[in-house]
Amino acid sequence: MSLLKPFSKLPGLNSANILLVENEEQFQQSLADVLVEETSVAVNVRLAKSLPLPMENDESRPRIDLVVFIINLTSELSFQSAETSLKYLDPGYFLGKVCFMVTNARNASVPTEHLDAVRKLAASLHCPLLFAEDQTPDGVTSATERLLTVLKVAASLVPTTTALYLSNLTRCTLPPDIDQPSFD
Amino acid sequence: MAATINLSDSERSSPNDQSVSSRSSNRSLRVAEKERRKNEAEDPFVLALKYFTDVEAGTPVYGNDDFERNLVLVEKVAYSKGLSPEAISVMLEFAMSLRMGSSPCVRVLKCLIPATVVPQEAVVRAVVWLGVGKIPISTQVLFIKWVLTVFDMIDTKDQLRAVYGFIFSYVTEENLCPFICHLLYLLTRKESVRVFRVRKLLELQSKLGRQPFLLHLLSLYKVFCPELVTLSIPSRMRSGFRNHISPWKSALIAVQKRNGLQVASSMSLAFTIKDKTNSRKRKHCHLEVPALRSVVNKEAQTEKCSSRKVVPLVQLHSFAQLLENMHHIELPAQMGSLLGSSLALQYLDCVQDESALLRLNFWLGYALHEEFLFCGDGGAIQNSEDALQFLNKLLSAHHFLQEGFSSSEAFLYKFLNVWDGSLLRPQILGLLSNIPVVPSSQIGRLLFEPLTQLFFTSSLFFKCGLVECLNNMLLKWLTWHSVYALEDDLDISLNSHTSINMTLSGFKDSVMELVNFVGQLASVGLQIEGCQSLLLSFVLDFYETVCDTFLKYGLPLVVMPPSGVFYPALFALDPVSVDRLAYIMHRYKVNLTSAKAQEKLTKQAFHISRQTFHEFNHYVVDMVSCLWNSKMFQPGMGVQLGEELLLKSKVPQYWTSFDLIHHPAFMSYAVDFHQKCWPGKKDMDLSSIKHSKPWSWYLEYLFTQGYDGLKQFVQSNISRQLTASDGQGDTQQR
Repeated sequence: MSLLKPFSKLPGLNSANILLVENEEQFQQSLADVLVEETSVAVNVRLAKSLPLPMENDESRPRIDLVVFIINLTSELSFQSAETSLKYLDPGYFLGKVCFMVTNARNASVPTEHLDAVRKLAASLHCPLLFAEDQTPDGVTSATERLLTVLKVAASLVPTTTALYLSNLTRCTLPPDIDQPSFD
Repeated sequence: MAATINLSDSERSSPNDQSVSSRSSNRSLRVAEKERRKNEAEDPFVLALKYFTDVEAGTPVYGNDDFERNLVLVEKVAYSKGLSPEAISVMLEFAMSLRMGSSPCVRVLKCLIPATVVPQEAVVRAVVWLGVGKIPISTQVLFIKWVLTVFDMIDTKDQLRAVYGFIFSYVTEENLCPFICHLLYLLTRKESVRVFRVRKLLELQSKLGRQPFLLHLLSLYKVFCPELVTLSIPSRMRSGFRNHISPWKSALIAVQKRNGLQVASSMSLAFTIKDKTNSRKRKHCHLEVPALRSVVNKEAQTEKCSSRKVVPLVQLHSFAQLLENMHHIELPAQMGSLLGSSLALQYLDCVQDESALLRLNFWLGYALHEEFLFCGDGGAIQNSEDALQFLNKLLSAHHFLQEGFSSSEAFLYKFLNVWDGSLLRPQILGLLSNIPVVPSSQIGRLLFEPLTQLFFTSSLFFKCGLVECLNNMLLKWLTWHSVYALEDDLDISLNSHTSINMTLSGFKDSVMELVNFVGQLASVGLQIEGCQSLLLSFVLDFYETVCDTFLKYGLPLVVMPPSGVFYPALFALDPVSVDRLAYIMHRYKVNLTSAKAQEKLTKQAFHISRQTFHEFNHYVVDMVSCLWNSKMFQPGMGVQLGEELLLKSKVPQYWTSFDLIHHPAFMSYAVDFHQKCWPGKKDMDLSSIKHSKPWSWYLEYLFTQGYDGLKQFVQSNISRQLTASDGQGDTQQR
C-alpha cells in the first residue's frame, strides 16, 4: 500500500497539480478540459479512477497539491469508491489539500441519505464540500473556477493565505436539519 | 376531425345557460348533428358519441363489436386532439352511470383528455353518481384523481362548491380520503368551514394519525376560522398533498402541445393547465405563472351563486375598483396567477386575511421545491429561460410587496446547501436579500454556514455579489424595523403577514450577527484577494449602511468595522476608498454624538457600549495622525512596525509616508498641486506643501476634486489652528 504524500517532492515553479478522482470517469474529463485553459499558472491535471495510484510512474509524477474526490450522488458505488480511496492518502493531505465535489445533488432520484453520508464524511475529515452542476457548460465553468480558487491556495500560490487557513473557513459542517426549523 | 371542431364551435356560440345535464347536451348534439349533416357526410366520431349517449343499460360488453369500435374511435380522438366539452360530458356520464357495468369505466376515465375545458355540470353529475352507483373504490379514486388533474380546466366551480358537503362526506372513506382532502382544499371557502366538519377531520386525525393531507386542510380551515380549530399546526409542513402519478399526464401534455397554437390564437377560455395537480412531475410547467382567471366565470352566476356577492379579481381593472370591492373578492383558482398581476399583489398587500397568502405560499413552495431541489433529470434544464423568468417574476413580486414569501425563504435555506454558487446567481442572491429577519439563534446555522463555504471557495465576483446581497438584506431589515417598530413598547412585528414577533433586543441581536458576519467575511476576503479595490468598494457600501443605523433607521445600535476592513481602506491605493472611509467615519461620529445626546436627554435605557466609543476614538486618532499629523507607526496605533525594521527599510521620514501628501492614493494630487502652485520650480519638494498656507490651499484643492467625505471628516474631527506654525491639527476626542 503506497500512500500519496503531499510534501515528499519539491513544488514546481509557478505550477499547480490537481488530481481528480472519480469512479465514473465522466465529469473529470470535462473539468480537466477547462482547468488546463487557466493561464495565470501552469495547471497540471491528473485523472484517476480510484486510489492508490499505480507504482510505475511514481517517480515522474509531480507533487499533487490538491486531491478532488468527485462523487456522483446517483450512484452508490461512486461514494464507496471515494471512501476506500481515502485510505491511500497521507494524513498531511487533510490539512487543506483534499476537497469533495458532489454532482446531482438536486436530483429527485437521490435519496437524502446519500447526501447526508457525503456530508458526514466531509465534515469528519474537515474538508470542503463543493456542489457542481455537471450537465451545463456554465456549471462546469463555475465548478472549475471554484476548484482553481482552492487549488491556487493549496499550491501556495496565494501569498496571503495557506491551505490550512482556507480549509478552516470552508470545511463542511454537519448537515443541519432544516426541514423543521423551530422558530420560537 | 373537422366535425369535432364544428361541434364545439356551435356549442360555444349558443347561449350560456345550456348543457346543464346530458339531456341538454344531447339536444345540442342533435342540433349540431343537423347542422353538420347539411354540410358533410356522416362523421364516425359523432356517431360514436351518439352510441354512448343512447346505449341502454345492461348491454353486454364482451363480444360487443359496436362498443369496441366506438370506444377505440373515441380513444383515438382523445389522445390525438383531446375531447370537446360535450364529448367529456357524454363519456363521463356513460362511465359513471355504469350502464355497461364497471369494466369499461376505467378505460373511459383514462381517455378523458379535455381539449379545452371540462363542463362543471358533468363533474357534478359524476360526483352524484359516485353516491348512487356501485363503483369500485379503485375507480372512485381514479375519478377523483382525474378531477384533481383537470381541476383548473373545469369552467366554473360554483356548483362544485355548492355540493361541498356532499363531497366532504367521502372523507371517511379511507382510500379516498387523501384525494378528497386535496379536492376540498381547492374548493374551501370561509362559508364551508363548519364546526362539525372540523370535528370530523379531528376525529379522522386521531384515527389515521397526523397525515399531511388532513393537516393541510385543517390549516386552511384554521386560517378561515381560527376560533374553530384549536389544534396547533406546525408552521412549516414538510410537503403538501402527495404527488399522484396520473395516467393523464403525458397524454394531456401531448394534446396541449398539439393544440397549443390553436388555443393561443383563438383566445378561448383561459387555457390554464399549469396547475400543481397535473404538472407535479412535469418540467417547465411550474415555471409558467398561470394567467389570472376567476373561479366563477360569468358575472350573472356570480350574483346568484352565493349569498354573498363575490367579485373575481380578474374583473377588476383599476385600483379604485379594487378598493370598492376589497371585502368581497374571489381569489383565483390558481394562486400562482397572483404573481403576475399587480392589482392582485396590491390586494395581497392590503388584505389581512391570511388564506390568500397561505395558498400562494403552498403553491410557491411546491413549485420551487419541485423545480429546483427535486429535479427529475438532474436539473439540466434549470438554466432555461423559464426558470429565469419565473424567478424574475417572483423577485418583482417581492419588490412590489417589499417582503419575501415564507415559502421562498424556506426554499432558500435548503437550496443554499446544494448550490454551486453560479446557477441563477443574480436571482438567488436577489431572493436571499429579501428574506425576513432570521432569529439570531438560527441565523448561523441557516445562513452563515452555507454562505461562508460558498464565499471562500468562489470567485471575486461572487464575493462582491454576496456582500452586496447582504447589504441589501440589512437595508431591508432596517427599513422593516423603522416602519413596523412600535414606539411605546419595544416589541416589533417585523413582517405584516407572518406572525413572527420579535423583541427589539432579539432584532438587535440578529442585526449584530449579520454585521459581524459580513465584517468577518470582508476582513478575510480582503486579505485573500489582496485588498482588491472592487471588493473593498462593496464592503464600504455595506459600512455606509451600518454607520447610519441610528440616525437613518432609529435603531440604537452602532457597530464599528473590524480592523481588517478599516486599515485596508485607509491604506487603499485609490483615493475613492479613503474618501469613502472618511465619510463613513464622519457618519459614525454624527450617529454616536446624537445617540449620546439622546441618552442624556431621555435617560432611556439604550446603551451604546464604552467599547464602541473606544474603538471609534482609536480609529479616528489613527486616521488623523496618519493622514493629517504625519505620525505614522507611533506606538499605540493599530498598525505597528518595529523601529529597526523601519530604519532598515531606509524610507526617509517614514512617519510621513501616509499623510495626505505622501499617501499613495493622494500622491498624484500632491504632485499636480505642486506643479500648479510653483510652476517655475524645477526640483519638487512635496514637504513644502506642509507649510500652513499651502496646506490649506492643498486641502481646498483636494475638496474641489470631489472628496466630500474627506472634507466632512476634516470639518468634524479636526479643529484647525491656522495661527499655529505648521498647520498641525488637533484631534477632537470625546
